[in-house]
Amino acid sequence: MRISLRRLAPYFFVGPAVLSVAVFLYGPLIASAVLSVLDWNLLSSDVSFVGTRNYAAMFSSVDFRLSAWNTLLYCAILIPAQIVLPLLLAVMIHAVRRSPLQGFYRGSLFLPTIVAYSVAGVAWSWMLNPVNGLFNELFGYFGFPKSRWHTDPDLALLCVCLVTFWKTFGLNMLLWLAALANIPPELREASQLDGAGPGRHFFTISLPLMTPTAFFISVTTLFHVLDDIVGVIDVLTHGGPAGRSSSLLYFLWQQGLQFFQFGQASAVAVIIIVVVLVATWLQFRLGENKVHYG
Amino acid sequence: MSAALFSRAFHRAVLHGVLLITSLATVFPLMWMITAAFTPNDLITARAIRLWPEEPTLANFAEAASRHPIWTWLWNSILTATLITVGKLVLAVPAGFAFGRMSFPGRRTLFWFVIATMSFPTVLAIIPTYIAVVKLQAFDTYGAMIVPSIPYIGFYVFYMRQAFRSLPSSMFEAARMDGAGLWRQFTEIGIPNVLPAIAALSVISFMGAWNIYLWGQLVLEDRFKKTLTTGIAAFADLEGADRVWGPLMATSLLSVVPVLLIFLLAQRFIVEALAPGADER
Repeated sequence: MRISLRRLAPYFFVGPAVLSVAVFLYGPLIASAVLSVLDWNLLSSDVSFVGTRNYAAMFSSVDFRLSAWNTLLYCAILIPAQIVLPLLLAVMIHAVRRSPLQGFYRGSLFLPTIVAYSVAGVAWSWMLNPVNGLFNELFGYFGFPKSRWHTDPDLALLCVCLVTFWKTFGLNMLLWLAALANIPPELREASQLDGAGPGRHFFTISLPLMTPTAFFISVTTLFHVLDDIVGVIDVLTHGGPAGRSSSLLYFLWQQGLQFFQFGQASAVAVIIIVVVLVATWLQFRLGENKVHYG
Repeated sequence: MSAALFSRAFHRAVLHGVLLITSLATVFPLMWMITAAFTPNDLITARAIRLWPEEPTLANFAEAASRHPIWTWLWNSILTATLITVGKLVLAVPAGFAFGRMSFPGRRTLFWFVIATMSFPTVLAIIPTYIAVVKLQAFDTYGAMIVPSIPYIGFYVFYMRQAFRSLPSSMFEAARMDGAGLWRQFTEIGIPNVLPAIAALSVISFMGAWNIYLWGQLVLEDRFKKTLTTGIAAFADLEGADRVWGPLMATSLLSVVPVLLIFLLAQRFIVEALAPGADER
């Protein structure tokens, strides 16, 4: 009896965590797969099996195709920006690491990361406000024509990118900073003795040593970008004008929770899961043999 | 001053210049929010650019409180964020201990099962969870806000496992010699030695829970049940020039101040948890 209790003990420790994850995170994924082949809205009691009809309806929907295209644009703009610009900032902060201002730079640049989406949306919708916002006031001061910013169909997506970047680049910057701090200083001295300049040192020594961080960041940035734009879209543009700034996850949110099209929304969810899994698998395939573990 | 020294000083000055401008531009929207919260509403709409309130006033806070129950929202935010944090720790700390210090069949599989959830976009689970909330008649309750927000613990379990693994085994062996069972090893040796890690996770969790927006906006409809971050969205519904910027900024400021204070007090913890090593010089 005592022995079997000892054997079971670890499962009492991990059980609650495993169960909660299974019920609240894996459960909904499976439920989405099931809902995606049903025709059901929450209010009625009749549920019918429709096979792939939800998928077909979705693929033929103009709004779906527009939001899928937008999602590609978001990824094409934000993923490189979220990887490269935080690296540049981290390299600069690392270069002044002995200055008392280092903490101020790091704190200020990380600050937007701790703010809620609704607050970020409020602050930015004032700055971008077409009537009496800061950007237009500055533009007027310098004699440029006023812009409609996030209410302009051609600029809405870029405005969402800007606010998303502002709100989230701090995390990757911290991760890069940690990677830079962990490079042994002896290597810098050695490469200096060999006559390598800072640029050469960075590309031949620092960057290869940071490949585990680079790999981690490139994998997680994809998930974060997909997730983060939803909050910004909701507070800044509501996907508009005319769907021009919507993304797949925001389309899912609208279909499911504003129009109560659970079947179609779940079909979108299943597609997103598949895309995320494939992208992650590809990243592991392509990335892992380039990663140098020291 | 030699040419080489001068060039180095010049480089540093340029670096500081770029970093200073970037830092100030980054915090500017938040600085403006503070200024606007204390500036009379008609002055805000008359001119956008100001760095300091000309006629400092608390009227915006009073105006916001008369339009919406912002003090109730503040209390709701504190309540939900605290309970979510406690829930996450209750799940993640023992799990981290078992994954880090015990060996048992299925450890690797179960660990990855939990860790993989770090990659789940939060929106994916929303529809089935929402249906479940409605079917359980839990709509518009704090439970609906709190319970589904707790299981996002992938990072927490991973982090606690690292913390427990980094403790020396001799510590636990000594306790075992004294006849301490697993539970006593956990509560008397394990937890007291990972308090910094628990503190870091508490802060990160509290800040995250404080800022929960999409889910809260969905399940909390009663205006007295809203949290600050979801309440602000209701507040901000008026478009453009019609917005009551002053009271809106006052409420936004109210929602930022607690996380800002926590962030400033615990910056070292947070940096260390998210990016170990970043603080080494």
